[in-house]
Amino acid sequence: MRTKVLAAIVLFGIGFALLPLENSVRAQRQQMKYGGAHVTFQLREAIGQNLAIALLAGMRGVVADFIWLNSHGFWEKKEWLRQYRDILVVVTLQPQSILFWDLGQWHIAWNIGYGALSDPQNRTKAEGIKREHEWHQKAREFLERGVENVPGKYNLYFALGWLYYEKLSKDCDEPPCQEALCKATEYFRTAASFPDAPQFVPRVYARALEKCGDIRGSYEEWKRLWYLDRSKTDQTWSIIEREIRQIENELQIPNAERVFPISKP
Amino acid sequence: MTEVAVTASSTSRERVGFSPNRVGVIAVNTLTEAIRQKVFIFLLIIGLVFIALAIFFAQYSLGEQEQLKFIKDTCLGVISVISTLIAIVGTAQLLPSEVENRTIYTILAKPVWRFEFLLGKFFGSLLLLTVSMVAMCMMFGAVLWIKEAGMIRDLSQTYLGQTAADKADAIQQIQQLKTTALDFDLVKAALTDLVKAILVASITLLVSTFSTSLVFNVAVPFMVFIAGMLRGTAAEMWGAHHLFMAVVAIVPDFGLFSIADEINLGNVVPWTHIGEVVVYGLARTVIIVLAAHLIFSRREI
Repeated sequence: MRTKVLAAIVLFGIGFALLPLENSVRAQRQQMKYGGAHVTFQLREAIGQNLAIALLAGMRGVVADFIWLNSHGFWEKKEWLRQYRDILVVVTLQPQSILFWDLGQWHIAWNIGYGALSDPQNRTKAEGIKREHEWHQKAREFLERGVENVPGKYNLYFALGWLYYEKLSKDCDEPPCQEALCKATEYFRTAASFPDAPQFVPRVYARALEKCGDIRGSYEEWKRLWYLDRSKTDQTWSIIEREIRQIENELQIPNAERVFPISKP
Repeated sequence: MTEVAVTASSTSRERVGFSPNRVGVIAVNTLTEAIRQKVFIFLLIIGLVFIALAIFFAQYSLGEQEQLKFIKDTCLGVISVISTLIAIVGTAQLLPSEVENRTIYTILAKPVWRFEFLLGKFFGSLLLLTVSMVAMCMMFGAVLWIKEAGMIRDLSQTYLGQTAADKADAIQQIQQLKTTALDFDLVKAALTDLVKAILVASITLLVSTFSTSLVFNVAVPFMVFIAGMLRGTAAEMWGAHHLFMAVVAIVPDFGLFSIADEINLGNVVPWTHIGEVVVYGLARTVIIVLAAHLIFSRREI
């Protein structure tokens, strides 16, 4: 009996002594935003008992993937609300997954939005449009949460910019909505500032500036891209040249100031 | 065990010091016995089959990045679960089977310390876990390699005969694929999974020092593991209650070992963090093996 008590004291005592190390590791995880939602009663209700057990066994990724596949099935069956619920559960389980946020917002804004617009149960066309706009707003809120969770990568900033550019800019009485287009440029600029952003991102930013009405700003951005070090930058230079020529003509830039002066006949 | 017997014949029990050689002999013997067991082979085969099948599960998903994520999630999940199960099942019967078969009397009658015997058994379990982990990781690597080769082949065929810009795009995609598919950081996930399994094995060893029931030896570590997975939630909810935290300090926080998801999601997991997790796991293991020794040293056999 004495040894068992001694063993228990060793386990408790040294276990307690290890708490600072444990807390340090846990704090690092929180700082680096590791993990996802804890297994709460609400989450257990949302995912079912079997998946909750799998989650407890440490198979968070597999559970999220399984629910994602399930949500894909709802998409095929046009059960939008169920699909939306599953998408929300998936990003709760893996809030660090760019893939789930990005594809999730695409489903919400593009697929569910269109589904709501063309739903035969809509009494009027206006009702369909209103419902589509509501889904666009849901997608925006969803992506804003995504950006909060994954702030260190270009992808979701670009996705949010693209949502403003492609969808929210059309959700006003007289599209295109200037305000939404200008909001898109803010997110595109942030996305383009990441060194690992693909070559098309800064080009989309320059184009969005033009759409926002800041043609001069757009011209400056195209010029900045044109003068980048070509030995270090991978770009499609022909597109940049085409855009610069077009804006120089549009703004009637004096020949001496042009990147591509007009040759005199 | 011959080496042990030779050593034993010339000296009395009191004069024999601690011998790493004897621990090694018992460990290798334990590994050999464990590998012959059907339960281990069965679990390992199940693990390898699931890992191999992950390549087909992934076909249900849409894009290439999704498929890669699904494969990695499935394989890492299988590795984690199977290694935990092997740790529990493989260790739970180590001591009871020795008692049941009465082989423990033969061994302990010789100048072999109980601590050497216990440590030998534990290291044997560790070797078993390492062997199974290496086998599963090799299968995982092979699955990723096959998938990567297939995706590169598909990409090359898609862009065949396209414009120069498309070809450049394809090359860029292939390079990106090569960096994401066979990611060296996955080694970190395997390492933390191994440490987690070692910790589970030590808990099972501790339970088996005072219990002779195989069911009890399997069930208790499993419940401790589940409780350990919930330690993070408990710490967040009741972290301010020091008395409560002192009581639950006996259960290791197994949630801290879950870094496979982060690596798979492309998050940076620094080696310093891995180091702290490994130190935490091994420190816990040492304490538990020490407690197991305290109980086993006085146990009436």
